[in-house]
Parts: sequence; structure tokens; C-alpha cells
Amino acid sequence: MTARSTGRRIRPSGGYELFMWYFMRLSGLALVFLAVGHLFIMHILNNVETINYAFVASRWTAPRTGWIWRLWDASLISLAVIHGFNGLRQVLYEYLSAGGRIVAGTVTWALTAVFIGAGGYSILMFQPDEGFIKEHPLKIERTTEISSASAPPASQPISVAR
Amino acid sequence: MPQTPRAPHAYQSGTLARIVDGLRYGGGIGQWSWLAHRLSGLGILFFLIVHITDTFFVVFAPDWYDHTVAIYGGVWFDGHYYWPLRWAFRVAELGLIASVVFHAINGVGVILYDLWPKGSLYRKPILWTVQVAFWGIMLVTTPIVLYPLRKAPDQPAASRPAPPPAGVASVVPGR
Repeated sequence: MTARSTGRRIRPSGGYELFMWYFMRLSGLALVFLAVGHLFIMHILNNVETINYAFVASRWTAPRTGWIWRLWDASLISLAVIHGFNGLRQVLYEYLSAGGRIVAGTVTWALTAVFIGAGGYSILMFQPDEGFIKEHPLKIERTTEISSASAPPASQPISVAR
Repeated sequence: MPQTPRAPHAYQSGTLARIVDGLRYGGGIGQWSWLAHRLSGLGILFFLIVHITDTFFVVFAPDWYDHTVAIYGGVWFDGHYYWPLRWAFRVAELGLIASVVFHAINGVGVILYDLWPKGSLYRKPILWTVQVAFWGIMLVTTPIVLYPLRKAPDQPAASRPAPPPAGVASVVPGR
């Protein structure tokens, strides 16, 4: 290899930072599937303007597939929050001295816990409000012409069962 | 060219000078990919925080949730439809999609570079492949995301009654 070789990235030599280095790459691979899949379902297959409470309820409480979506969303939130806040921590570390790094590390990990807690609570503790759904039903029928041109969007079973 | 040498110049203090210095660095596509990866990551994290917060409403305030997501469709909290609001959110949605797509593809490139033994020999081809894949995906995605903007929504979202736009028959069943 000549002078053209650009060399490897700087990989941490061990410990916590090396663990997070591998975590960023492994969770990143998982998130390519989870996050891009989530965006594809919500923004391409569906129209975001039709997403409402009834839509969320029909997804998470669908009789046979509800647990899959909850598992998907819980995995997505957990990995994405850790990945995102660890990325923020790494960016901040580049600009901070030792004292500031302690603060930044503590704050980012605390926020990681808060947002995984909030997100996990929403997903796992969700109970549909049947009365509200009756008054504000699904809006999926009037999605864009793109989807009505093909088969009508295969809405999740509209009968919301627990 | 990426390897363009730049004459070293005196260090200037001040944040602005350092940012300008950083942008004049001359690292070529690698430098811009690094910057785009970092900025898209921070942008996605910001959206993620907002998104977890709004979704948290589903467990205790369904009406808050519906009012919040209705903003995506251009319906403000006062129940009125404002087309600039809807356009702004569509463009922001496109930005989010672009950020995630770029961060994902470029991230795979970073993994290849780091973990594939020959990755460092193929740094430039990897980066150009990332560009081709990203712009190819966005070329297909952009029209799909912007397509609904060509006309006002049949019924402004949030299930509030509003006069339908002229010429659009309200054919929504069950409403």
C-alpha cells in the first residue's frame, strides 16, 4: 500500500468506547431494516395525513399481527434512541474537555433512559379507547389516488379487538 | 480532487473562522459524506425526540394525539386548514426521509469500510455507490411523497367538518 492508502478509521482500543463502537455498527444494521421499513410503511404505503389515533390502535391491537408491530416499534425505539443519543454523545465529546464530557455523558444517557421509558410505555401499555375510536374512525379510505389506483390499501383489520 | 493540498494558513480563533476553515478543508467526497452523516444523524435524533413525545399522547390523551398529527395535514389547533402548513410539513417529511435514507446507506458504507478487511482500499467506490443509491432512491421517493400536494385534501384531517373544495365530490363512505 502506497501513500494513496487512506488508512482505517480510528477505532477505540477497548472497554466502553469499543463496545459502543461495535454497538453503533450492529444497531445501525438493524435500524436500516427497522427504521427504513417503518418509514416505508408510514410514508409510502400509507399517507401520513391519514394517520390518527384509530390508525395507531388498529395497528397495535390487531388480533394476530398487533404484537409484531409492537415488537417492531419497541425494538426500533430502543435501538434508535441509544444509537441517536450515543451519536450525540460522540459528537459532543469531540468538542468538550474532560469535565464537560462527564456532564454530556450523564445527560445523554439520562435522556436515553427517559425516551426509551416514554416510548416503551406508550407501545407496551397502550389500551384502545373504544369510544374515542367510534367518534374518530380510521381515515384510511381516503388516502391518495396512488394507493386507490392499485388495490385498496390493505387496512389492518378494522374491527379493533384487544 | 480530494487530495488537493492546501497551503497551511494561520489558525484563526473564533467559532465562525473555525467553521469556515473546516469547510475549506478539501477532504472531497469523504469530508462531505462525513458532514452529511453527522448532520442527518442529529436531525433524525431531533425528530425522534419529537416523535416519541407526540406518540406518548396515545396512552393518556387520544384527542391531543389526533390534534397533533392533524398538523401534518395542515390543520392547526384552531381546526382550520392552512395550506402552507401542510406544504411545510410535506417538505420536512421529505427531508426526514432523505436524512434516514442517506444515513442508512452511508452507514452501511461506513460498516463496510470499518469491518470489511479490504474496505479501506475501496473507500472512494463505496462513497460514490452511496451517492448513486441515495439519489436513485430519492428520485423515486420524492414524487410519491409530494404527489398528494397537487390538491387540497378531500376533507381536512382531524375529522372536523369543513367545506369541501370546489369540484371535489365528497365520496368518503361512512363519514
